[in-house]
Amino acid sequence: MMDKDIQKTENVSAAERVRNVKTFVPRVDIYENKDALYLVADMPGVDEKTVDIELEKNILTISGRVENGRVDGATLMYSEYEIGDYERVFTLSDEIDRDKIVATVKNGVLRLELPKAEQVKPKKIAISAA
Amino acid sequence: MMKIKNLLPSVGRPAEKDDDHPFYSLQRQMNRLFDDFFAGFDAAPKALAGSGFGAFSPSVDVKESDKEFTLRAELPGVDEKDIEVTVTPDAVTIKGEKKEEVEDKGKNYYYMERSYGAFNRVIPLAVETDADKAQANFKNGVLKITVPKAASSKAKGTKVPVKTA
Repeated sequence: MMDKDIQKTENVSAAERVRNVKTFVPRVDIYENKDALYLVADMPGVDEKTVDIELEKNILTISGRVENGRVDGATLMYSEYEIGDYERVFTLSDEIDRDKIVATVKNGVLRLELPKAEQVKPKKIAISAA
Repeated sequence: MMKIKNLLPSVGRPAEKDDDHPFYSLQRQMNRLFDDFFAGFDAAPKALAGSGFGAFSPSVDVKESDKEFTLRAELPGVDEKDIEVTVTPDAVTIKGEKKEEVEDKGKNYYYMERSYGAFNRVIPLAVETDADKAQANFKNGVLKITVPKAASSKAKGTKVPVKTA
């Protein structure tokens, strides 16, 4: 159990790739408030140039490329993590306003804001006195 | 590779994929318990370093070349202000805190896979190092520390010519 906490999970379902590197499933938090859904993914090693977000129909794919960390002339003494790309696929509902999705990357964390469409936001209905 | 790791019980070994069986996992945890207990007190056992199960603890890679050690730690979402790196001749300490983002009222979680919390890792180095010349660099959630080896430890043994009698 404790080992799983420090290990990255390899993404075995990722499609065959051109780059000969492993692909990992980034850990994510997903939460919502009344205006939007937020997706926060830990992807250490990526920056705004190497992260890719794709939305096709209702399939949202986040992927990130990490340059390999080879140090010339060095041998690995011990290793707790492997370097590799990230990929994870989510299915969105139609309730997301696709045009207003905002993505930021900071310190290896990708943050996506997926605003809810107007028609699904909770509304209070005023009751008028008869 | 495995041999070296066995000698470094406090560093936390990665799980082997094939022994993810609950029985082996229990055995492994028992082994680790003993390892940590007998590991001595100079290196904080990883299992006790965090504030408990599920607390954030960075994964660390250590590479060694003739001249230096290169350590790399994954610290996604940690601010460089919150990282403290201390280098002593025989160990590197990485200390810090991964803070949970600002509390957002009325948010409901669907997934919560990321972890937060304070961490403190001590990575023992086998060879004496030149701690004054160590460098640390934090970029995109990956902390890279280079620690050059001390000049004295770089010297390899003297060759002694073998003469015939």
